[in-house]
Amino acid sequence: MVKIENPLLLGLYAQTVDQVLSSTSSIDEANQRLREIGKELGSQVYLNSEIVEKTKETVTTREDVAKLIDVVFRTLYNKRPTDVDMDTARGSVRIADKDCIWCQDVNLEGMRGFGYCEVFSGMIEAILEFKDVQAKVFQEASRATGADNCVWNIRLN
Amino acid sequence: MDLERALSKLRFDDQVIGYSLMTKAGRPFVSFAFPDELFPRVKDSINLYKSDLRLMTIDTDRGLVVLSPVDENWILTVLYVPELQLGLAIAKTKNVLRLLEGVELPPPPEEFEDAAEDNLQVLESIAMKAAATEAPPPEPEPAPAEALSEPSATADAPAETEVTSPESFSVTTTTVPERGEAYASALSLESDLYSEMKSAYRNFGFDVLMLVDGSKNVEEIADTMFQSTERVSDLLKWAASRKIVTVPEGGEEAVAAEEAAMGRFVKCPKFEGDLSKIQGPDIEIVKLCNGSLTPEQIAEKTGVAHPKVIQILAKYRKYGMRMIGKTR
Repeated sequence: MVKIENPLLLGLYAQTVDQVLSSTSSIDEANQRLREIGKELGSQVYLNSEIVEKTKETVTTREDVAKLIDVVFRTLYNKRPTDVDMDTARGSVRIADKDCIWCQDVNLEGMRGFGYCEVFSGMIEAILEFKDVQAKVFQEASRATGADNCVWNIRLN
Repeated sequence: MDLERALSKLRFDDQVIGYSLMTKAGRPFVSFAFPDELFPRVKDSINLYKSDLRLMTIDTDRGLVVLSPVDENWILTVLYVPELQLGLAIAKTKNVLRLLEGVELPPPPEEFEDAAEDNLQVLESIAMKAAATEAPPPEPEPAPAEALSEPSATADAPAETEVTSPESFSVTTTTVPERGEAYASALSLESDLYSEMKSAYRNFGFDVLMLVDGSKNVEEIADTMFQSTERVSDLLKWAASRKIVTVPEGGEEAVAAEEAAMGRFVKCPKFEGDLSKIQGPDIEIVKLCNGSLTPEQIAEKTGVAHPKVIQILAKYRKYGMRMIGKTR
């Protein structure tokens, strides 16, 4: 058995995913529901952490967004993202994490397109909103469904 | 009754001195703390404009009176404290009118005592009686050819349909409504369905239906219209009950789940720092952080967008802003 970081968080999140899956009828809907939960969590995180003090008041460029994400990672996970890609897609910032905290030891089969860690998309989206940045964030790949990295795409409007 | 709910919003507003729901002839029907000496003046103004009355304000020495027609029979008159800004007074009145938008008020009874306390009940019983004796829903007219958008809708007009109550449909932000069999007839200006919608929802109904295309979900429709998802959901539930759109039916489980809810756990900001150190417009928000309002409620009360409220709350974390968990 793999060593799991913070089994409490994982246990609670697994419950949440279970409830979402049992009350939604499609993968898109489940992803959306998890993002909505993440958005609510995002407010709580923003109000109860040091993210606000450690970041610039206004975030405008993609570099600023990348820095903000860096702070979010350090505050929440005590580490940095594996990769922050600002070049591949225009208008997007892609964040990769090879040891994503949300889906440790989760292996889902036959759930193509399901973003197990979509909750984090919602959180980033909310935090960006508090910095006056309008963006759509979604999970592009999840280790839970077989990818090497968990990848989130932040599409800036 | 929704009328009561809407009026109680005024009653508990600190900036409202009194209000009165008046007939179009200027007679007070239901009043709350509205000074009697102002009635003649209000009545004169109503009579001056008659059916042309739109939103109107009268500056009196007791405060600012805002008059606004609710429908063809009723006029809502609200007296605000004198120091309230005109714009805010109008916005507050409009908010209450919005609450009344789905409410069908019966015309006033022919005889009643001015501003008697139980008039509201009288009105309610008229409304109930009207609902009980209301003719069965009229046969929808076949949609005129030029208004069609879906071939199926132009086929036979739906026969006497069983009307399901709007509450039995479940609409969430991710629901994707589709056009139903009565869609085209609801959009054709001559149909009864259209007039029913118009009287209950004004143009809002039409605007939402135009956006129903089987691919947009409720949240996207609401975003496009800059409206709340709740308001869009309510309209869609009604439309679903009239077969104008189709959405999944909620079924008993959904209803049971709602009833079984124990309430909600929320977190409310409480500011324990020194208020005098806070400068600028933020003070309005921080003042409301007394540990009993959620950020959502603060946003609603002040008219500031929710993300902006969170932004401001977070700013004062280091000066003594705490989040307190509560159930409600």
